[in-house]
Amino acid sequence: MKKYALYPGCVMPTEQYAYELSIREIMPKLDIDLVDVKDFSCCGEPIKSVNQMMTLTLSARNIAIAEKQGLDIFAPCPMCHMALTEAKRVLDTDPKMNERVNKFLLEEGLKYTGASDVLSILDILHGVVGVEKIKKKVKKQLNDLKVATHYGCHLIRPSEIGRPDDAENPQKMEEILIAIGAKPEYYPEKLDCCGGLLNANLPESALTKTGQKLQRVQEQKFDAFIDTCPWCHRQYDSKQTKAGETVAAKLDVPVLYLTQMIGISFGISKEKLGLNLNLSPVDKVMGGT
Amino acid sequence: MGNKIGVFVCHCGINISQMVDVKKLVEYAKGLDGVFISKDYKYMCSDVGANLIKDSIKKNKLDSVVIACCSPRMHEHTFRGVVESGGVNAFNLEIANIREQCSWAHDDKDQATEKAKALVRAAVAKAKLLEPLEKSKINVTPEALVIGGGIAGIQASLDLADQGHKVYLVEKSPSLGGRMAQLDKTFPTLDCSGCILTPKMMEVLNHQNIELLTYSEVVGVEGSIGNYTVKIKKKARYVNMDKCTGCGDCVEACRMKGHVVSDFDEGIGKRSAIYMPFPQAVPLKCTIDPNSCLMLTKGKCGKGALCVEACEAGAIDFKQKDEESEVKVGAIVVATGYDLLDPNKMYEYGYAHSEDVITSMQMERLINSSGPTMGEIIKPSNGEKPKSITYILCAGSRDENECSWCCRIGCMSALKQVYLLKEKLGDDVEMNICYTDIRSFGKGYEEFYRKIRGMNTNMFRGRPSEVRNMGDNLTIDIFDTTTNKLFEIKTDLVVIVPALVSRTDSEEISKILRISKGADGFLLEAHPKLKPVDTATNGIFIAGCCQAPKDIQDTVAQASAAAARAANILSKEELEAEPQVSYVTEELCSGCGTCIAVCPYSAIELVKEEDGTTHAKVNEALCMGCGSCVASCPSGAMQQRGYKDKQLIPMIDEVI
Repeated sequence: MKKYALYPGCVMPTEQYAYELSIREIMPKLDIDLVDVKDFSCCGEPIKSVNQMMTLTLSARNIAIAEKQGLDIFAPCPMCHMALTEAKRVLDTDPKMNERVNKFLLEEGLKYTGASDVLSILDILHGVVGVEKIKKKVKKQLNDLKVATHYGCHLIRPSEIGRPDDAENPQKMEEILIAIGAKPEYYPEKLDCCGGLLNANLPESALTKTGQKLQRVQEQKFDAFIDTCPWCHRQYDSKQTKAGETVAAKLDVPVLYLTQMIGISFGISKEKLGLNLNLSPVDKVMGGT
Repeated sequence: MGNKIGVFVCHCGINISQMVDVKKLVEYAKGLDGVFISKDYKYMCSDVGANLIKDSIKKNKLDSVVIACCSPRMHEHTFRGVVESGGVNAFNLEIANIREQCSWAHDDKDQATEKAKALVRAAVAKAKLLEPLEKSKINVTPEALVIGGGIAGIQASLDLADQGHKVYLVEKSPSLGGRMAQLDKTFPTLDCSGCILTPKMMEVLNHQNIELLTYSEVVGVEGSIGNYTVKIKKKARYVNMDKCTGCGDCVEACRMKGHVVSDFDEGIGKRSAIYMPFPQAVPLKCTIDPNSCLMLTKGKCGKGALCVEACEAGAIDFKQKDEESEVKVGAIVVATGYDLLDPNKMYEYGYAHSEDVITSMQMERLINSSGPTMGEIIKPSNGEKPKSITYILCAGSRDENECSWCCRIGCMSALKQVYLLKEKLGDDVEMNICYTDIRSFGKGYEEFYRKIRGMNTNMFRGRPSEVRNMGDNLTIDIFDTTTNKLFEIKTDLVVIVPALVSRTDSEEISKILRISKGADGFLLEAHPKLKPVDTATNGIFIAGCCQAPKDIQDTVAQASAAAARAANILSKEELEAEPQVSYVTEELCSGCGTCIAVCPYSAIELVKEEDGTTHAKVNEALCMGCGSCVASCPSGAMQQRGYKDKQLIPMIDEVI
């Protein structure tokens, strides 16, 4: 059993419950013990364009809290993971920033030392657990379900701060999906943006991006669309109908979290994986398995 | 030894004198033990300065000389000659560097003058202990080895052979020609590449001074400048070279015809297992590819090898074995060429996703009338004529993630191909070029570029973010930095112009020859400006793209330069060896081998005496006098002439 502090972020515990449910279901089966830590705050990323210092301090604060408990952090939300990773990189390489941020943390009696690692969903599944171990736990065959992967942006960029997969040709989700019996296929729009970050200012444009990608996925006859980011998932799953209206298409694409797909293959029930919370037609996938 | 020393202080214009009080220094030197005279002059390296030194030596019968001036890297050679012409052994000269290591480095004249005094004091201390040294002689084998049979190797071989030197030209592949043989036409003159290359290939073949060794590799090199022993492996062709007439009947007959991927056609065309890379191959002989021939891989070919049946000359010989031979040469020219960066490294350009994304070298083969399509331009995916072709320049070049350098031929070769494609396909085919900067730097290049720009070509300045295979077309997203607009190009055929990289086997070559590679992987020249074709190892020269990417013009010029530099050695009956090299005091040496590990020139070996003791031995011809072995020797057994411990320690004593 490896222990990690689960860093929930904001989107997952306030609306994307299905992600959290499925994570809490599959992780113990893969010998990953999740610890809930008190006092975690926002990762800081949403206010980065306004106050970078505060973003850094908030990220560092969360890492410092985990350090105090002697735990590495598992951040399932790619945006949180990116913020924490970036803060780590800045504080580990820039002594001046390290000093400034630690001055703020001192007020709470915290100190950032760099002792805790920050792991993403892919770091845990592909790195710590490993594809072989996942494969051994499979109970239900997915019968070569043709799936499209969506990595989103934060999980693979920017490369220089260290991301869990290649920016141009990420393959770890594919390897995991092959291990559980699905059949991921290349599609030209794989790296296209979900549009989610345009929501605040240009909601129409955001939905257009979402709709266009799903439309192409549907045209290429994929059985399911798999993601790992609660922001992206909100676009593709929760807002699928609206996105369809925006691009004048009737969209009918089952969108699942990677952890839900793994859960299905492990034979975990629909309710436990939060599949009843998905708004896209996920029953099509369940029926096919 | 030196009891009558002359000290000569140079002003170097004002380079030295503005920060060092030369007059004071001269007076100071006069008072040093062993110094007989001390003089200064504005430019000691000038004719007048040289005569001042020469005359002073003669007049005062000096036996050692100290010159306080610039770095010995600048003028030591000059001054050795001056001292020698004055009648003193050239190595009874010590230079005190009071420019780079004193006047240029400081800003307090009094302190700089004191430092200059200390440096001169140390030099005088050493001058007292200098010993005359004699240069030894090395006999020279007047023959040359050229590695690589591309245009660089061809040119170097012809130049050396024309000067009367025997040349062994070793080429790895079955034919001469290299990269240039793969090209259709050359920029900016649009000469047919084959038409200007094949006469030179024939000249090599028929030259009485050139021994051409194709399908051969250099596997070992021993010795040093003037005397190298080279081991060459001649790979089995499984074809008797004397009998084969090059008729090609076997190629037509081969059971594998049309099944083997052709390297020469960059993977676009298919050939037989027995093949000739191209119709003008030199030598015009067939070769059996041991990796695809059924007889050689499986031991049988149907009811009997069809090539054997077809060959009227009876040249096929499956029993042929690799042969090793040894030749002796005096100098080596390395011209091993380049590779193209694997286009899959730029994953976003879609080479892995579509057959219709090709490299510029593959396009070269498509354009060529003896290429896999006989010169017809087609989309490899369906054989149709493309209606739109898009070039992506700098694919991996000038890119922090792949190759930081410019490939120097990409822009011009793409422009040339655009011209040739327009000629072949007509004006109704859309041509797009995505470029970073157009670098048209050579003679006639800019004019050629202007011509293409005027030919209805769409130029996008930027790097595509992605090439997508949309099924019925390829889609490219590109941000054009001249208009600040994002464009989406729909096109039928994408040609990527990959970066030029060093040969995959350049590591092996550099190890065999003991020459260095730069951080970019290309073979390293001795000096980027003043010794561009020399390597750090005397007697070995480099030419063409193995040194760095360059066009044919520059390659040929460099090849001739390398040949001329090699001929400098080969034209002498004997060479003088530098005497300031290391030697071993055998009684002190324990044979620990530390010196062998640190020697960058592999000049030291362990020798076992009859009484069972072992000691190091320096090959003085290989030693470059770097001193690494001396510094690492734990017992002081290793010493360097002109830099012995007993000469250096008094210098330190004087300074500290």
